[in-house]
Amino acid sequence: MLWLQLALTGLQVGAVYALTAVGFSLIFGSTRIFHFAHGATFVLAAYVFYWAYQAGLPAPLGILAAAVAAVALGVTMDRLVYAPIQRHEGSFFTVFVASFGVGIAVQNIVGMVFGRSFVTVTTELSRSVKILDGVYVSPLAWIAVACAALFFVGLQWFLRRTHVGMALRALSDSPELIRAYGLDPRRLSTYAFALGSVLVVPGAIITAATSGLNPALGHHVMLISLAATIVGGIGSIGGALAAGFLLGLAESLALIVFESQWTEAVTFAILFLFILLRPAGLFGRAATS
Amino acid sequence: MTKGRIFAALATACLWAGGAGAEDLQIGALFPLSGPNATYGDVFSSGVNLAVEHINADKMLSGALSVRYEDSQALPQTAVVGMTKLVEVDQTPYVLSAFTGVSKAISTLAQRSETVAVNGGGVGPDLAKLGDYFWNVIPLANLEVRAVVPYLAQHDMKKIVLVYVDDPLGQSILEELEASLPNAGGELAAQISVPTTSQNFSGIAAKVRAAGPDAVYIASYGAQQIQIVKQLRDNGVEAQLVSYSGFAVPDALALPEAEGLLYTTQAVDYDSADPVTQRFVSDYSAKAGKKPSAYVVNYYNAVRLFALLAQGLEKKGEAVTGANLLSERKATQSFDLVGGSVSFEANGTLLAPIQINRIEEGAGAALETVSVN
Repeated sequence: MLWLQLALTGLQVGAVYALTAVGFSLIFGSTRIFHFAHGATFVLAAYVFYWAYQAGLPAPLGILAAAVAAVALGVTMDRLVYAPIQRHEGSFFTVFVASFGVGIAVQNIVGMVFGRSFVTVTTELSRSVKILDGVYVSPLAWIAVACAALFFVGLQWFLRRTHVGMALRALSDSPELIRAYGLDPRRLSTYAFALGSVLVVPGAIITAATSGLNPALGHHVMLISLAATIVGGIGSIGGALAAGFLLGLAESLALIVFESQWTEAVTFAILFLFILLRPAGLFGRAATS
Repeated sequence: MTKGRIFAALATACLWAGGAGAEDLQIGALFPLSGPNATYGDVFSSGVNLAVEHINADKMLSGALSVRYEDSQALPQTAVVGMTKLVEVDQTPYVLSAFTGVSKAISTLAQRSETVAVNGGGVGPDLAKLGDYFWNVIPLANLEVRAVVPYLAQHDMKKIVLVYVDDPLGQSILEELEASLPNAGGELAAQISVPTTSQNFSGIAAKVRAAGPDAVYIASYGAQQIQIVKQLRDNGVEAQLVSYSGFAVPDALALPEAEGLLYTTQAVDYDSADPVTQRFVSDYSAKAGKKPSAYVVNYYNAVRLFALLAQGLEKKGEAVTGANLLSERKATQSFDLVGGSVSFEANGTLLAPIQINRIEEGAGAALETVSVN
């Protein structure tokens, strides 16, 4: 039954990866901004929820506070960091370095405010329940998978059925075309950051309750988001979701064969294989000459 | 004219000697001050700062003692950069170190530059073999494992699973468990290594459960060891959890899932009647509002050891250099430190009895003390 246990564990991990990766993919796909501080958004949302939990606030208020903090950071980054850089120079590398710097700054500020040690949100929902002989699943695992499905369906509806959503999809192809239709690419970019940032919230809260938090968590989150975005196909929301689950499952099931120290290597072996054999990713559009 | 020159030279020498005697002294400390192990840096520096405060208040040295902190992040590469700065730029003769990987990484530089490096936090047994200039004021992990294995066997916990971080510390605990368990009638049912950066252990928990152990020995540190404990418990592992002195930090002790966990530390008699111990315990408790941990004791002792050696050198009119500190330590039979009078083994390591503790209501409660060698 070890494989079943590991598969279920992989689904829970994959759901968190998927939610985070979908947010990053949405931002990168729409704006072409390599938002390295996405990991910092994850950390900030998780710590704000932890703060609300410590303050004794009800969980819905904590979730709301985490969402507000995540959106505020994402939008602030877009307006105050990326927009000025893009107005003057806008090179990919400058944007990346700025984002990287903000990521480090947020990590240190979180460390100063909340302390640099390990913290966790204690809840009965993280306690696994025996469902079969030798198979345990926590209620949070089901919640994680349900959140991933719900947010994905909601996001797809938004992107396909609303004007803003459709404009966001068009933004990555041609900002000029967007202007020709009387839309403001900068405002759309802000929408992309707000949406992408809010998507980290469920994963951040679930992580706070399952694995626990430390301010340095953002780098790992970012690494997985990047891998899932490439494996899923840059710009493909569905691809990022599928790749998140794929990486989570692969990481967990790899334990049947390998020592745990190789499970992260499995993630990057998958990434490497995709880059070599299918550079467009699972659902990405192939490059045209 | 010659007499005048001799007088002038003597006067200058006297003034120089007087000036040197009154010079302030600086030691270095390479602690993790940021990153996932920063909590250790806070604990270690609380012991260091209290010792400096006491030494300066007592005017043990002719000048004031201060500490130059460098952030090692508990990473060997970062630590070597910090150590280079302490040796080359600040020219500190005495550097406090922590963590097995860090200590091993800086030991070569310590030896080459004749700088004394003193470890009060790392417990890898290899730390006893790093040369004359590397000292340990903490008993090493092989002793901790040797102490706890018979205890586990006596309490019918013979089937052990080890979850260990894949670094020199984890490797050394694995080797010691493999050597000690058969002698105690136990067995190592599974050994699961985890990378230092790993944060998700729900899959590991499934493997641990599948092995059906009586006890799970966790050999990690910092945030990771706490994550392992939480996730093992959350994922249905009910076996007794066991760890080493790395678990004796406030975050780990406070974790609800860690309740009942067994861990070893060096035994320190906080009720000792000697004035050094009494002053340390009362001042620390007044400052921190809690009893000091073994780590606080170690780093207080490491700084006090420096002051005692430097005091001896100053009395003899010798310069406070790494080489002279080493000679002075070898020439001194014993030192009055917190916990009583102690002496060093030839390899520069302090021997101390080991205490087995259990976490009860968020604090360590001593179960028994074991003498091992």
